Amino acid sequence: MVKKGFGADSSHIKGLGWCSVGYGSNTGVVDVREGKILRTRNFDYTECYTPEQLNAWSIDARGKTLHAPMKSVLPPLSIAYKSRAYSKNRVPYPLLREDWSPEQRNPQNRGKSKYKRISWDEALDIAEAEIRRQYEVYGPGSVLCMCDGHAETKTIHCAHGAMVNLMENVMGGCTVSARQADSWEGWFWGAEHVWDGFPTGQGYQSNLLYDICNNTELLLCWGCDQETTPWGWGGLWASVMSFHFSDIGIQQIYISPDVNYAAAVHADKWIPVYPNTDLALQFAIAYVWITEDLYDKEYIATHSVGFDWLEYEVMGGESGIPKTPEWAEEICGVPARTIKSLARRWAKQATSVAHCNGGSYIRSAYSHEPGRMEVCLLAMQGLGKPGCNQFKFFEWGLLGTESTKAMPASVLDPSIIAAYNGAFTHRYQRFVPKTLIPEGILAEKPLYWHSIPCVSMPKEVQFEEHRFPATDDDPYLHMIWTDSPCWSTCWNDGNMFSEALRNPNMEFIMAQHPWLENDCLYADLILPVSTKYEQLDVNNELNQGTPNTFFIETPCIDVIGEARTDWEIVCNIAERLGVLEEYQTDAGGHLRKDTETCIKLAFDDSGLSDFISWDDFQKQEYASVPYRENWRDAPCGYRDFYEDPEKNPVSTMSGKLEIYSKALAANFPDDRERMPYPHYIEEGETHQESRRGLRGEKYPFLLVSNHPRWRVHAQMDDVPWLRELSKQMGEDGYAYEPVWINPRDAEKLGVKDGDVVKIYNERGWVLGGAVLTERIRTGVVSQDHGARIDPIERGVSDRAGANNLIAPKGTTSKNCPGEVTSGYLVGVEKADLVQLATEYPDAFNRAIDPQEGPSIMNWIRG
Amino acid sequence: MKVFVFDAARCNGCCGCQIVCKDEHCGNDWMPYAKPQPMTGHFWCKVDQVVHGQAPVVKIEYTPRMCNHCDNAPCIAAAPDAVYKREDGLVIIDPEKAAGHAELVDACPYGAIYFNEELSLPQKCTGCAHLVDAGELPRCVDYCATGALRFGDEEDFADEIAQAEVLGDPALGPRVYYLNRPHLFLAGNVWDPDANENIEGAVVTLLDAEGAILSKQETDDFGDFNFKRIDAGGYRLRIEAEGFKTAEREVDLQESLYVGDFPLQR
Repeated sequence: MVKKGFGADSSHIKGLGWCSVGYGSNTGVVDVREGKILRTRNFDYTECYTPEQLNAWSIDARGKTLHAPMKSVLPPLSIAYKSRAYSKNRVPYPLLREDWSPEQRNPQNRGKSKYKRISWDEALDIAEAEIRRQYEVYGPGSVLCMCDGHAETKTIHCAHGAMVNLMENVMGGCTVSARQADSWEGWFWGAEHVWDGFPTGQGYQSNLLYDICNNTELLLCWGCDQETTPWGWGGLWASVMSFHFSDIGIQQIYISPDVNYAAAVHADKWIPVYPNTDLALQFAIAYVWITEDLYDKEYIATHSVGFDWLEYEVMGGESGIPKTPEWAEEICGVPARTIKSLARRWAKQATSVAHCNGGSYIRSAYSHEPGRMEVCLLAMQGLGKPGCNQFKFFEWGLLGTESTKAMPASVLDPSIIAAYNGAFTHRYQRFVPKTLIPEGILAEKPLYWHSIPCVSMPKEVQFEEHRFPATDDDPYLHMIWTDSPCWSTCWNDGNMFSEALRNPNMEFIMAQHPWLENDCLYADLILPVSTKYEQLDVNNELNQGTPNTFFIETPCIDVIGEARTDWEIVCNIAERLGVLEEYQTDAGGHLRKDTETCIKLAFDDSGLSDFISWDDFQKQEYASVPYRENWRDAPCGYRDFYEDPEKNPVSTMSGKLEIYSKALAANFPDDRERMPYPHYIEEGETHQESRRGLRGEKYPFLLVSNHPRWRVHAQMDDVPWLRELSKQMGEDGYAYEPVWINPRDAEKLGVKDGDVVKIYNERGWVLGGAVLTERIRTGVVSQDHGARIDPIERGVSDRAGANNLIAPKGTTSKNCPGEVTSGYLVGVEKADLVQLATEYPDAFNRAIDPQEGPSIMNWIRG
Repeated sequence: MKVFVFDAARCNGCCGCQIVCKDEHCGNDWMPYAKPQPMTGHFWCKVDQVVHGQAPVVKIEYTPRMCNHCDNAPCIAAAPDAVYKREDGLVIIDPEKAAGHAELVDACPYGAIYFNEELSLPQKCTGCAHLVDAGELPRCVDYCATGALRFGDEEDFADEIAQAEVLGDPALGPRVYYLNRPHLFLAGNVWDPDANENIEGAVVTLLDAEGAILSKQETDDFGDFNFKRIDAGGYRLRIEAEGFKTAEREVDLQESLYVGDFPLQR
């Protein structure tokens, strides 16, 4: 029993991170009084263990000691999250679109119609009938299961994918929306071909905290915001580390278009770069190193292949233009003299490049180019040399791989996977990449692409051609079942998605979700889901610096409204379809009949029985395991490869860093957008997103759209304490999503601080509240993504600032179906609110909750 | 007697102190010290934010503001029957006795008192007296991951208090101390336009309006200099580098400034 907090009747351990898919984090304690959540606080791992029992690590380096955190360091989001349980936007009961019936489906009204209350029995009747109908009329494959992405991290009651196991494995087949390597695009499509970094394309992280503390002199935080992105996956530990790095004399230089939240407090220097021009900056650094003899030629000779191709390209290449700092200055906006200083500093000091995923560096058009050129630069300075690696501030231990454990490792990774009821990434029978979902819905002839675009897939999968429908005998799509209804505010060209959802061929859309938000507005049937505060579950937190811990999450509060868990809903539907037992029987033959059974399955599978008995575990409600005695001996990043590449090759075909990729050359000989070695591609067949190009004349700003500071993607946009902290109040009393504009640009635009502005391109427009700030460089505006959609005109415009609606449709490049959701062209102008309110009275007269924003009662009849 | 000590150099700006204050008090009754805080609109702990400088030298200053728990508290003077000071120094608005005392909002020179319309009650930071009584820390302090915000006995913080500033009138005896406040900076860049190179090692002298030398720096390998933690006023910058003509510039510093670049002439 976890120790009760002051004033609490009961206290409950909860994993309060938002990865959703099996990556637990942010372990906290929720105190409850009189049936209501009282507070959320950090978890103390030493409640049942001493630091000595856990072999708590410490790193002594350069006169200071960094200790293992024995308490969690929750982000503010985890504290404020309780508001989501009590949100007025919770789906109160099953809802049916009032003008939908099996006879009259009215797809054209999706996103416009209101909903009416129905009973669970009626809802399950409809779900059962529609699923049966799909299989009878079209056969397997006509149902699209949209089932991945981020949400509450749950195990048994998995937020995502419970229906895939039913539809794909039991019912005979479905089409799955296959999640991209969405926060890792540039590394996945680019870097992976140089160093084969499993599972995301990023470099080996093993024991890098130890390496950095001891050896690194300079951290290049390239498009990196460790005070934002890790919040959903690891809390404030990255922040603590960053202060420690400064304390022991490690310089931090930030290269980004914005003074992000980490640069704001940790930067020794900020180098403002135009979004999606990093490749030019990188090429110019290589130019300085080559011309001034500042790189490790011996390493390049012994550890890489194809460097001469890169050297040729940098020194002139096909275009004949040397990639000098002066050449780069024109493109990336960084003074040539600063580029030279940066190049020399990097060559002089033990340098690691640090990242936090997302943003324009890695989610822009052709992001594979900077992604892989970074590896080439690291190679030129001896990748794996003490202090010289690529470091990521969070997300360690992904998929349990040793190579991703940047923190001191533990003796056991107690997995919850045996209890997981969600979907695993696999070789789907039928799938459409998430970036191509609108095209998949609208398809009338086969749609083709390369790869199964999911992390953990071997890079060779990128060379496979896939299609939808998978065969000529397969049906096109006629139904969607989604448990992750936030595509429109998280992916590429949400306006096209809105159009696709209104297609007459799409007969039925069913969403299950705790809140009536985003894609739910386009569903025909909405099923209410409970939050994790209302559920019994099991969870863990592994390889995050804190002790590896496995815990039971007991319910804190009664179920709100008529909600059921995601898994329960799928079980309910399986029962209606007469396949419940088959659905609940897993590959090992276990009948997963209830939550308690699943918890025991997970415990038995976790390896914890060597450390604690089942009875004691139930009493403690958590179990932590010690760090390894010899954790210091684990190789640091690429150290083994650095020391002996023949004995310790990387897992490329040649065993070396493939600066020139023969595999890319062989498989895509005609691809001018991703050639065998890095190139600067300003514009191409797929994208014209350069401020110097023709579209740049019409849309002169580049939009930076980072992982949001006060949300996790689409989650939490209605949390009152976060809204009052972050939103920009317009003169019409609406809380707009902030847009950072440099004061010099604002002056030219005639925009004042607090004005509402329109951000637009040919794909549509969204509104935002202008914040005039030096935190963004000129020529660039910044608005976080993931605002909760408040449509003005469906498929065209949005009041809440959901800028993914106007992100490019085109994927990373021709043969790379990754997302491009940052660093693209927009125009900016002051919005005329009076005129807009006149032109769009429905949208501008919606009921607004003063604390939570647009009310769901705008969408519910009665 | 208890004090709060905030170290600006350790603050990551996460605003967690502001959020946990709401977590502890919104909708939660901690009588006899506090009735529930409204869901929004009150900031018993509020993080102020100032953007310093201009591209490419920009830093953010975060400052949590809570009740100063003054030793000579104007709110106690304004309503001595309704506001009291505990033995440990925390100033408490008695929720029973202060009902209706809207004037207390204006009594605080720092805007730390808010009026709860629903309860007709002035409210503010209690220092989480309910937790302190139980031997725990105020929520904002307990939460702070970086150790920027601390709380404890005055004598234990004596050395730091000697270095600290207060935000407010010292005569009122505020008990919240601020370390390492950044004040203002004056930054710039020195370079050689003929070679298109930054100049490392240029000597940059900061003088006051009368010409007295205040400080000297050498530019780093990016040609950058930055005089930190200085205050508003008239300054003169002198830039000297071997082989170049000396450059000077007058600066009327009102806010942190990236003064621009100095292309030195040979």
